[in-house]
Amino acid sequence: MDAPATARTAPATRSAEGLGGLTNPRVYLSLIALSLLLILPLVSGSSFLIHVAVTICVFAALASAWNIMGGFAGQLSLGHAVFYGIGGYGTALLIKHFGLSPWIGMWPAALLAALVGAAIGYPCFRLRGPFFTLATIAFLQVTRLLAIHFGDVTGGAAGLIVPLNPGWAWMIFYEKVNYLYIAFGLLLLALGASWWIRNSRLGYALIAVREREEAALAAGINNSGVKLRAVMASAGLTALVGAFHAMYLTFLEPETMFSLTLSIEVAMYALIGGIGTVSGPLLGALLVVPLAEAARGWLGGQASGLHGFVYGAALVIITLTMPAGLVGTFGRRIGGWIDRLPGGGAAPAVAPLLPPRPVEGRAGETVLEGRNLVRRFGGLVATNDVSVTLRRGEILGIIGPNGAGKTTLFNQLSGFLAPSSGTVAVRGPDGEMAAPRNPDEFARLGVGRTFQIVQPFGKLTVLENIMIGAFLRHSGVAEARAAALRVARQVGLEELAEVEARNLPIGGLKRLEVARTLATEPSILLLDEVMAGQSQADTQRMVALIRAVRDSGVSVIAIEHNMHAIMSISDRIVVIDSGRVIAEGEPRAVVRDRAVIEAYLGEDYVDAQGL
Amino acid sequence: MDILVQLIVNGIMLGSMYAIISVGLTLIFGIVRVVNFAHGELLMVGMYATYLLGAKLGLHPYLAAFPVVVLLFVVGALIQRFMIQPLLKAEEHIQIFATVGLSTALVNLALLLFGADLYSLQVPSVRESLRLGGSTLLVGQAAMLLCAVALIGGLHVFMHTTPLGRAVRATAQNRNAALLMGVPVERIYIFAFGLGSACVGLASALIMPLIPVTPTIGSYFVLTAFVVVVLGGMRSLTGAFVGAMIIGIVDSLSGYYIAPDLKEVVYFAIFIAILVFKPTGLFGLGRGTE
Amino acid sequence: MESLTRRGALAGGVALAAAPLLGSAALAQSGPIKVGALFPFSGGLALLGDESYRGVEIAIEERNAAGGVKGRPIQVVRGDAVDPNQAVGEARRLTSVERVTCIFGTFSSSLCLAATQVTELAQIPYFELGAISDPITERGFRYIFRTNATASGFANMMVDSIRDAVAPAYKVDPKSLKVGIIHEDSLYGQTVAGYQKKRVQELGLNLVETLPYSARSVDLTPVVLRLKSAGVDVVLQTSYQNDTVLFFRQMREQGYRPRAAIGAGGGYSLRDTMEAVGAQHMEGALNVDFTQFRTNPAGAPGIEEFVRKYQAKYNMAPRSGHSLCNYMGAVVFLDAMQAASDLRAAAIREAVLAVDKPVGSTATGWGAKFNQAGQNERADPFLMQWQGGELVTVFPASAAMAPVKPVLGTA
Repeated sequence: MDAPATARTAPATRSAEGLGGLTNPRVYLSLIALSLLLILPLVSGSSFLIHVAVTICVFAALASAWNIMGGFAGQLSLGHAVFYGIGGYGTALLIKHFGLSPWIGMWPAALLAALVGAAIGYPCFRLRGPFFTLATIAFLQVTRLLAIHFGDVTGGAAGLIVPLNPGWAWMIFYEKVNYLYIAFGLLLLALGASWWIRNSRLGYALIAVREREEAALAAGINNSGVKLRAVMASAGLTALVGAFHAMYLTFLEPETMFSLTLSIEVAMYALIGGIGTVSGPLLGALLVVPLAEAARGWLGGQASGLHGFVYGAALVIITLTMPAGLVGTFGRRIGGWIDRLPGGGAAPAVAPLLPPRPVEGRAGETVLEGRNLVRRFGGLVATNDVSVTLRRGEILGIIGPNGAGKTTLFNQLSGFLAPSSGTVAVRGPDGEMAAPRNPDEFARLGVGRTFQIVQPFGKLTVLENIMIGAFLRHSGVAEARAAALRVARQVGLEELAEVEARNLPIGGLKRLEVARTLATEPSILLLDEVMAGQSQADTQRMVALIRAVRDSGVSVIAIEHNMHAIMSISDRIVVIDSGRVIAEGEPRAVVRDRAVIEAYLGEDYVDAQGL
Repeated sequence: MDILVQLIVNGIMLGSMYAIISVGLTLIFGIVRVVNFAHGELLMVGMYATYLLGAKLGLHPYLAAFPVVVLLFVVGALIQRFMIQPLLKAEEHIQIFATVGLSTALVNLALLLFGADLYSLQVPSVRESLRLGGSTLLVGQAAMLLCAVALIGGLHVFMHTTPLGRAVRATAQNRNAALLMGVPVERIYIFAFGLGSACVGLASALIMPLIPVTPTIGSYFVLTAFVVVVLGGMRSLTGAFVGAMIIGIVDSLSGYYIAPDLKEVVYFAIFIAILVFKPTGLFGLGRGTE
Repeated sequence: MESLTRRGALAGGVALAAAPLLGSAALAQSGPIKVGALFPFSGGLALLGDESYRGVEIAIEERNAAGGVKGRPIQVVRGDAVDPNQAVGEARRLTSVERVTCIFGTFSSSLCLAATQVTELAQIPYFELGAISDPITERGFRYIFRTNATASGFANMMVDSIRDAVAPAYKVDPKSLKVGIIHEDSLYGQTVAGYQKKRVQELGLNLVETLPYSARSVDLTPVVLRLKSAGVDVVLQTSYQNDTVLFFRQMREQGYRPRAAIGAGGGYSLRDTMEAVGAQHMEGALNVDFTQFRTNPAGAPGIEEFVRKYQAKYNMAPRSGHSLCNYMGAVVFLDAMQAASDLRAAAIREAVLAVDKPVGSTATGWGAKFNQAGQNERADPFLMQWQGGELVTVFPASAAMAPVKPVLGTA
C-alpha cells in the first residue's frame, strides 16, 4: 500500500480525534461561546436573564433534536410537539400516579416518544415532502384532540399541575439557576448527539438518503432503517427536553404541550440557523429567542399580533434571501477565519490505509445468475425471458441498441426492480448462493452498481461521496476516509478529493460514480455506461482500471456503447435486443453474428452485404 | 331515520363548503405543484374583505363576491410572482417554510388589524331555512352547493375549450414540454395561482354570511381542505368534490354517532390512512409519493 | 422595602449577584410601590385580558388619588402573558427584574396556574381577580388569593338554578326535567362541565346527555340532533361566543325548543351574541356569570360610580363585566395592603385573611372573606336572563331586577 500517505496523515489523526482536539479552534471557540450561555446569566444573577437563558437552551435543544430528523434525514416534521408533549405528559403522569422522580420518569417517556416516532415515521417515509409534513401535522392534531378527550388520563383541557416539591429529586427549585444547569446539560446532550450523528456513519448515510435515495441504496444503505434511527433519536431527545420543560413550567395543558405553533417555531430556529448543520439550530435559537423576549418588552401590550407578524415575515424573507440559513450562508467564510487561529486547519482524521477486502472463491464458479427474467411495464415487456450468468473473475459485456432492455436487466440484477417472473441469485461472501430482495441487501452481498445517469451527492465533497460507499465495509469514519482515499487514488480523483461533487465535469462524475461503487468493495461490479462522455485518454484509463479491478478478483458486468472498448475488455459478450438475448459468446464471434448486425444496422444492411 | 337523512343532508351541505374551499387548493397544487400552507389565510383575507364591503358599504355578500374574487386573484398572482416564483427551483422544505411563514404573517396581521373578535355579517335572507322532505337546509348552503358544482363545471369547460385553458393544462402536465411549445410557463403559473386564489375569494363570499370570521378561521379550514384534496387525488377537481362530500358526511355522522369533539380525529385518521395506504387518493388520480 | 427585596432575592437564589443592585431598592423605600399586572395583552385572549386590566387600572388610579398605599403611590408594571410559557417568563421578570410587591392577574386560568407556580416559589403575593379554575386555590399555596367565584361555583349555580329557578317557574318537579350538558372542550368548558356532572348527581337530577365539542366547530347540528332525540328539557351550555351563536341558530333551524338553556357566562353574557342570534330568539336564555352592569345597585354599591369612571376614562361603555370584577378584587386587595402592618408577603397574607366584608357591600355585590387557601367564600355568581334584549339579573333576590320568565325563544 501507499506508505508515505499513511505517514503524512497519521499526526493529524492524533490531534483531531473526537472532542479531545481541544487545540482545534473550532472546538475551543464553540465551547467558549456555549459556556457564555451559562456564565452570563450566572454573573448577572437576574432571574429573568436566567429564564431567557433557560428558554434559549430549551429551544436550541429542541431545534437540534428536530434537525436530526428534519435536517439530516430531510424529513420535514411540523408535528414535533407530539414528542415534546409525550415527554412532558409522560413524566408528569408518572409523578402523579407512581410518585416517580422526573429524573427516572423522563426515560420511559423518551422511549415512548421514540416508539411513537417510529410508528409515525415508518408508514410516512414514502410520502413526498409536503405530504409528509401534512401527515405530521395531522398526527399532532389527532394527539392533541385525544389528549383533550381522554381527560381522565391526561387531565384534559383543564391541564395537569406538577406538585411543587422543591429539590433536586423532583426537579423543582427555589433557586432558578438550577434549572439553567439542567437546561444547559440537555442542550449539550442534544448538540452532542447531533454532532456525533453528523460525524458518524449514520450521519453520512442520512445525507446520502436525503440527497439520492437510489445511490444510497446502491451503497448498501437501508433507507428506512437509517431514517427510523434518526426519527427515534430525534423524538427521544425532544421528549427529554419536553419532560424538563414541563417541570420548569409546572403546568401542562394539551394546547401548549401539543402546539402547532411550537412545532413551527422549533423548525424555524433550525431554518434560520441553517438546516442540516450541527450549530445552525443553536445559532437560530440564540438569535431569535432574545429578540423575541426583547420585542415582547417593547411591543407586548401595544399591538397584539405584531411579533407574530414579524416572525412570519422573517420566515418568508429568510426563505427568499438566505435559504441556507446563517451557517450555510456565512459558515464557510467564518470557518475559514477560525481555522487561521492557533491550532486551526488540522486535517481530519484518517486511519492507516488497509488493503481492500480480498475476494475469495474459486475462479470460474457462477457468482451471479439471472434466470428467465421477465419484466413488464404495463403492456410493454422490457426483458423477456432473459438469462445471464456471470462467472468469477470474468468481464461480461452487455451490448444492444438503445431501448433494448439493458438497464432494466441491470436493475433486476442489482435489486432495484423486482422481476415480474424469474429469479436472481448472488454468491455471497460465505460461498453460498442467496436470493436477496432489496438493493441494499444486494450491495451487502457484494453487488456494486453504477448508474447510467450519474447520482452524485452534490453537496458533499468527492471524498465524502466515496466515503458513503466505503461505509458499507468500514464503520469508523477514519477507516472509511482512508478507504475512500485509496479508491480516489485508484480512479484518479485524488486531486479533486476536496471539491464539491456538483462542481465536477461529466467525466469526473462518471469516475466518481465508479469510485463510490468500488468503495463498497464489491465482489461483483455492474457498470452502466461508465465510458460515455469520457475523453479518449479517460476511456483508456477506465479500461485499465476495469482490468485492474478484475485482476483483483472482482467479476464485472459492463453495459457499454463504446464498441471498441467493450470488445477489448470483455471476456464474453451478451447481446440484447427488444428484451431478448439474441447472441452470446466471445467478442469476436458475436460481432460476426447475423442477428447482432441486423439488430444494430437493420435487415437491409445485412441483406445488402449478402451476409 | 329522519335523523339519519338530516345528518346526511347536513353532511352534503358541509361537503359543499369544503368543496368550494378545496377547488383553489387543487388548482394551485395541480398546476404550480406547490402545496400552499397559506391557503386558509387566503380564505381569511377574502372573508374580512367580504365583511368590510358588507359592513361599511352595505354590499350583499353575494354581490361582494365580484370585487373579492378580483382582489384575491391579484393577491394570489402577487404571491406567485414575488414569493413562489423565486422558490420554484429551491428545495421543497424551503417552499414549505415560505408558505408556512406567509400563513403565520397573515394570521397575525389580521390579529393586528381586527383583533381576536368575531366579525359576522347579518344577512337574514341567506340564513333562511328551506324544508326538504323532513330535513332542513339553509338558503346559503344550497347556494354553496350550486356554486361549487357550477365552479367545477365552469373550470372544466374553461380548461378544455379555451386556448388559455389548454395552455394551463399543458403546463400542468409537462412544464418543460410546454416551455418548448412556446407556452409562457411563468405567466401561466402566475395566472394559475391567481385563479386558484380567486376561487377561494368566491368561497369566502359564500361562507361569510354563514360563519363569523376570526384571524384563525383559515387554520380550521386549511387542514380539512388538505384532507379533501388528498382524498380526491390531489389534482382532480371532481375528485376534490367527491372527497369533500365524503368528509362532510363523515363529519356530520361521526359528530352524532361517535362524539362531537372527536369528529376531527375521525377524518384526520382517514387522512393519514389515505396518505399511508393509498397515496394516489381514493380514485387513484394523484400521487403523494415519489 | 429593602428587607423585602432582600428576602425576595434570597428566595430567588441570586442574593450574591443581587447585592450590587440593592442600591436602587433602597431608593424605592420612599418611592412608588411597584405592583405587577399580568394579563394576556396580545394574542387571542387580548380583548378580555385588556378589559380585565382596565378594572385594575381604575382601582389603582382611585387609590392613588386617595393618597396611595401607606402614603406611597402605586406604580403598575404590565406583564404580557400569551401562553403559559410566557406567563412563566413574565412572572419571573416581574418578580426579579421589576421586583414588584405583588401581582394582579390573570383572566385565563392556565396562565394563572403557570404564573403562580413561579410567584409562590418567589413568595410574592398573587391576587387573582378573574380566572375560575378551582385548582388555582387548591394547591396548598400560601400566597395566592382570589376574589372571584370558581368553576365549581358556576357549575353549582347553574345546576341549582334548575331546582331553584327553572322548575318553580314552569311549576314542575325538577326531577322530571331531562338535563343535557354541552360544553366546548377547552379548559373552561371541561372544568365547568365536570363540576356540573357532580352537582347533578348530588341533587339527583336526570342527566341524559353530556356532549363536548370544539369551540372552533362550524357545525353543531349533530349536537342539536342528539339533544333533540334525547328529548332534553334543560340544556346547560358552557361556551364562547361563536358556539353560542351557532347553537341557538341551529336549534332554531332544527326546530328544537328545550324549556331552558343556561349558559356559564362566556358567550351568553355578550351583547354581540344576542344581536347575532336575534333578541327574540335569545329571549329567556339564562346565564350564570360574574356581576354584570344590569344589576340592582342597592345590592352592589359602587357599580354606578365604576361605570361612570370607566366611561370618562375610556370614552366607551364597559365591554363586559370583567372590568367590574377585576376592579372589585383590586379594591379589596389594595385595602388589605393598606391595612397590613408592612408590605412583606407574610403581613399581606395576614391582612388579606383578616378582610371581612358582608355580601352586598362591594361593587359586584359580593362580599369578601378568604379561607386559608386564599379563596373568597362570599363570591357567588348571579343568575341572569335575557329579557327584551337585556341581560337582567334574576337571582338571588337581593340583586334581582326582575323575576325569572318561563320561556325560551318567542319565535
